[in-house]
Amino acid sequence: MALKRELYQALEDVVGQENISEAAVILGSYAQRGRPRFEAVTLPKTTGEVQAIVRLCNRFKLQFKASSTGWGAYGDAGGPGVVKLDLRRMNRILEINEKNMYVVVEPYVIYAQLQAELMKRGLNCNITGAGSNCSALPLAAHQGIGHLSVSGSYGERNQLALEWVTPDGDIVRAGSLGSIGQWWCGDGPGPSLRGIIRGNVMPMGGLGVYTKAAQKIYHWPGPATFPIEGVSPHYRPSQIPPGFMIRYISFPSAEKLSQAAQKVGEAEIGFILMGFNPGMISANIATNNNEDLAYLKQFTESVQGPGFLIIMAGNSPRDTEYKKKALQQIIDEHNGQPLEAVEDPQNAGGFMWRFIRVTSSIREVARASGIFAGEVGGTDVFPLMHQYILRSSPVKQRYIDEGKLLADGTDPFVQSVEHGHAGHAELLIRFNKQDPESMKVAGEIAQFANKTAIEGHFGVPGHAWGDAVHNQYGPHTSNYHKWLRKFKKTFDPNAASESTNYITADD
Amino acid sequence: MIAEDKLAAIVSAGNINRERATLEEFSRDMSFVNAVKPGCIVKPKTMADIEAIVKLANETLTPLVPVSSGPPHFRGDTVPGIGGAVIVDLSGMKKIIRVDRTNRVAMFEPGVTFDELIPAVAREGLRLNMPLLPRRLKSVTGSLLEREPVVMPKYHWDIGDPLACVEVIFGTGDMFRTGAAAGPGTLEEQWTAGGAQKEAAGPSAFSLYRIIQGAQGTMGIVTWASARCELIPGLEEPFLIGSSKLDTILEMVHWLIRLRLVNECFVLNNANLAAIIAKRWPGDYRELKDALPPWILFFNIAGYEYLAEERVSGQIVDMTEIAQRVGLEPVQAIGEVSASELLKAAQRPSGEPYWKLRHKGACHDIFFLTIYDNLPGLVDTMFDEAKAIGYPTSEMGIYLQPIVQGTNCHGEFNLFYDPGNRSESARVKELSERVITSLMAKGAFFSRPYGTSTGSIINRDAATVAALKKVKSVLDPSNIMNPGKLCF
Amino acid sequence: MALEDYRSDMEMCCRCSICKFVPLEKLKEKQHSYVCPSIARYNYHTYSGGGRMGMGIAMLEKELEYDEKLLEVVYNCQMCGACDISCKYAMDMEVLEPINEIRIKCVEDGHTLPVLDSVINSLRTQGTMIAGSKARRGEWAAGLEVKDITKQQAKVIYHAGCRVCYDKDMWKVAKDAVKLLKVAGIDIGIAGESETCCGGRAYQMGYEVDFLNQAKKNMEMIKKSGAEILVTGCADCYYAFKVLYDKFDLKGNLEVLHITEYLARLIEEGRLKPTRKVNVKVTYHDPCHLGRLGEPYLHWEGKPVPGHIRIFDPPKEFRRGTYGVYEPPRDVLKSIPGLKLIEMDRIKEYAWCCGAGGGIKETNPEFAGWTARERIDEAESTGAEAIVTACPGCEQNFRDAIKENGSGLKVYDVVELLAKAIEKGGH
Repeated sequence: MALKRELYQALEDVVGQENISEAAVILGSYAQRGRPRFEAVTLPKTTGEVQAIVRLCNRFKLQFKASSTGWGAYGDAGGPGVVKLDLRRMNRILEINEKNMYVVVEPYVIYAQLQAELMKRGLNCNITGAGSNCSALPLAAHQGIGHLSVSGSYGERNQLALEWVTPDGDIVRAGSLGSIGQWWCGDGPGPSLRGIIRGNVMPMGGLGVYTKAAQKIYHWPGPATFPIEGVSPHYRPSQIPPGFMIRYISFPSAEKLSQAAQKVGEAEIGFILMGFNPGMISANIATNNNEDLAYLKQFTESVQGPGFLIIMAGNSPRDTEYKKKALQQIIDEHNGQPLEAVEDPQNAGGFMWRFIRVTSSIREVARASGIFAGEVGGTDVFPLMHQYILRSSPVKQRYIDEGKLLADGTDPFVQSVEHGHAGHAELLIRFNKQDPESMKVAGEIAQFANKTAIEGHFGVPGHAWGDAVHNQYGPHTSNYHKWLRKFKKTFDPNAASESTNYITADD
Repeated sequence: MIAEDKLAAIVSAGNINRERATLEEFSRDMSFVNAVKPGCIVKPKTMADIEAIVKLANETLTPLVPVSSGPPHFRGDTVPGIGGAVIVDLSGMKKIIRVDRTNRVAMFEPGVTFDELIPAVAREGLRLNMPLLPRRLKSVTGSLLEREPVVMPKYHWDIGDPLACVEVIFGTGDMFRTGAAAGPGTLEEQWTAGGAQKEAAGPSAFSLYRIIQGAQGTMGIVTWASARCELIPGLEEPFLIGSSKLDTILEMVHWLIRLRLVNECFVLNNANLAAIIAKRWPGDYRELKDALPPWILFFNIAGYEYLAEERVSGQIVDMTEIAQRVGLEPVQAIGEVSASELLKAAQRPSGEPYWKLRHKGACHDIFFLTIYDNLPGLVDTMFDEAKAIGYPTSEMGIYLQPIVQGTNCHGEFNLFYDPGNRSESARVKELSERVITSLMAKGAFFSRPYGTSTGSIINRDAATVAALKKVKSVLDPSNIMNPGKLCF
Repeated sequence: MALEDYRSDMEMCCRCSICKFVPLEKLKEKQHSYVCPSIARYNYHTYSGGGRMGMGIAMLEKELEYDEKLLEVVYNCQMCGACDISCKYAMDMEVLEPINEIRIKCVEDGHTLPVLDSVINSLRTQGTMIAGSKARRGEWAAGLEVKDITKQQAKVIYHAGCRVCYDKDMWKVAKDAVKLLKVAGIDIGIAGESETCCGGRAYQMGYEVDFLNQAKKNMEMIKKSGAEILVTGCADCYYAFKVLYDKFDLKGNLEVLHITEYLARLIEEGRLKPTRKVNVKVTYHDPCHLGRLGEPYLHWEGKPVPGHIRIFDPPKEFRRGTYGVYEPPRDVLKSIPGLKLIEMDRIKEYAWCCGAGGGIKETNPEFAGWTARERIDEAESTGAEAIVTACPGCEQNFRDAIKENGSGLKVYDVVELLAKAIEKGGH
């Protein structure tokens, strides 16, 4: 369906001839993965241009979908009749305020860029677990939980003021931004509109476009640049900066792991705490798939049970010493055992930097077969999230035994948020996408996960999106789906914001 | 107007109060809002009561004003905006539902005060991140819903903390539970599974607790709240630093919080610290105030289960290095004021009379959010405005509370005055209204607007008002919830 | 190989976007963090490595017709390989190979750009990629006492390359190279007038048949000469002889060296001694086809192992830029007394392209100039007085951009700086 010429011309008037295309080659490349094609791709540069595009879509009864680097499938069109806003030209870091610990970015700044600029100033940010190749706008990710979340929280809670082009084309500047033109508070006057804009998860394109946002940043006790040497893909730091330490500890049981993670939280010693399984550790260090399989075998045989990776960063020699000793006590109390390959000086620095810069999520999820799926828990108390995800481990094992999934172990990965006040867990599956039986498994695991969450009372997981799934959870969960739908309808009266991964106003 | 018999069928007649004196009490408070008499006061006992009241109010379009704290009230939000409102007095709902040590969370009804909750959580080795010396009858839920600033910025990750989940009856009469409490399952089923109603965000793609916070009861009535708790330290070492240089103090504050060295951390001026500490009035107060430096920073270094002494002594060394670098001297006492005494005070509600009322009998607070950089200018602006109107700046209390782990700072000017003195009252009223615009121009964000200045604050941003009205149209389409407040 | 043979590679693309950036572990600041000139200039995802993977699949699925926009996207790429290297940090898949195969397919299907046709016509008729040049191929070597390998045997052949032969500004560099080798006692010869284009850029433009013709001609001449080593000062030629000829099993046992590799070796062996001071602050630009694309070709034949992880039998190694020629040019520069070398942000395997490659100089000189300007700005930001490189294509493009936009930056070849540092007589 070609755009009406009148609309195309109007869009061209907004962004300029170079910044809109409906050429087949352009639309085809944005629709890779077999998804429906957009009607046109636009490249706006300013909030005003975004607003104009949104208003035009409303007027001409089309939908729109905005994205930054666009890794997630939620950046795609759900069907015909959608205009793409590729926010690539909105790529500025607008403000870094060191004294007051916040930063303001546009959507196409990626986390690697932001972190690099912050590190120069003795600061750091939580990077979404998907990787530092993703947008640094805390509103761009599905959830925004990251490796640093144990000490650096995550998107929902790091969010300060923001600029939002609503689905019907208003511009709302939340918090202090609307009131006094400053970026450091996203709440008020009165109720906070952050409550509509996101929850554990984002609306993922279904509630307008976020064009600028501020987020909390954190202290960085390390060097202005990490001393990385080597040539791709074999990077490692020439030395581990003073005060930094990395360990991987496995435990005799999931329960011991959970307890130890809680104690690490209460002792406030973790900089990064991620309950990676051997499959993720092996994918992280390996520079190719063969190596990955070899490390997987080695690490699986080396651990006594599930474990976590912990990086500590001391703000002073005393702080470093305290953290080191406290950790050792916790390990001893919970029968933890170190994985020496991680602590080996040959490997430790490389692991450390890949986890701080979050560069290897791609290796972990995509290198094996180009596709991954699984179960994404919500965010709630650590033991609950852990228990929830463990329910799916036997199911994964069954599919592995049937040859439908990659045999990379069944331990999920868990992580601590805000020094153990919350946790998050996921179960990753990787498989050959050419195999129809394997493709079915993703759906079956999702169904099992939903059944478990509902019948087991484990909350609404992060992978719950779309009308059908919300309709499934809602009646058991304070009918949240009805309220979400009402907000959708109220803020998007023309259903212009493409909502496949959010909720529609259709009852 | 709701018929008496229908109300009595819900709460029983004994829980409906139309006595003149009581109606008078609820028709005004210590703020400068106009007095408006309610129709009656009802005291529900359960969520079902409240649900029924709200449904009934919808049928008759009767305004409802939820109140959970006991008097005195200060903000004007519990004074009806419209005549004939029903005050829904939740102060009798005093159940402490659950305290969970493992997950560091407590759940309680809206009538529970700080004095009641503190020992309950302490039994589990837990404590709340509290506001500074709340008044005795202040409801914990009320404080959380007002987004009151709390004294431990390290544990204040987000402006909504420490509020976790709420159960709320929206203006539509529907019950909803926010965050993890939404479900699936009943609370009991969630507990059996290991749930703790601690995750505030959600369910899924919205976080309605943020809409209920700061709403001044205009979205619904909360029937219980849960709040995240912190551990009671095994070891504490509090300090004071006095100085005349506010920017130096703020530099110290920035680093203490940035490096996560301290638990409690706030700045008071001499007037406020004297008001908190003084035992005998007015003698002690004057003496203390005159002996104290203009600004006093208070902070507390703490250790927990693991290597508490090593941790605390290391952090004291680190703290001292910062102090030396900025040119300040941390001490354990300044004159008669000891850090330990202030720590004890800050970990409890205020004694009686409420500390803000001790000086003159009344106090009007002007508070806002800002950032460190703006604070000195804001203090100057406030002083200039006060001088212009004839309010003695030396009498003004000032409280600066870093929040959101130092990203924001709550700034508060306390205008003490004699409520029986008309000209003093008038002066404070005028000052409180006219200073708003000049403070905003200098970087004050009135995130929690109350009273007579609400309109001038909230109407600055038409787009936010429009969005809030959309939210209101969903949660309270009949506008029965505390009408006349905010922009509703 | 054909485009279809890279289907499974292209299908591996998960759109993570690392092809657009320098390897994220190395990213030190926001400025100079882009690595792909094509998407940096044109902004649509389509222009990136990942976008081209999607385009390739769409072409195989016959979802795209040959139209102006498709060709514009296909040919607006310097074939610099930065996307390939960045991608392979994390993934086991080819990126540059299918991008090249897309061009080959375009040519096979009879769709290119007119200006490329005229360049190839020049190659076919005159053995040069520089269409319309008036100079004679061997003119640069006038006065140089050096063997003619068509008449005499020599152990080492110096291949000047089209860009040198037909650009008077580059003749001195080639002469210096030969002189330095002679000073070091190397038995060197040149083909002079008989030299013909290596064919490398023709391959990058998609003209596989023409490339192969050139390759066969060159190898025949080299075999006849008895030369064991071929040395060149052009990165494109280096890549052609070392990598492409090997890919098509034409290279045999010929050792291919870039002039900087050879010079570094000779300096280390003490056969060349830089003693004169050259007081200049420089920054070094890694040419794409010497650096990240300069590592040896890896022959592999096998098949994928069925299963849920992409592995092969026998195991397949990927060229990831790890073994490119990065240090020898730097070693040469560091051996020059008085010279100070300051690195840019984007270097070695993630160097920003000069802008001239892949036919862009011919098809889109504005884009070539834009790309060069970005690099010149980056060089200037180091405080260097000069940008030094090891490829005439890069040098020419930098000079053109400086001329057009004005800049105080000087452009040197590594060879000419070394030549300044070597006393007459070389020791």
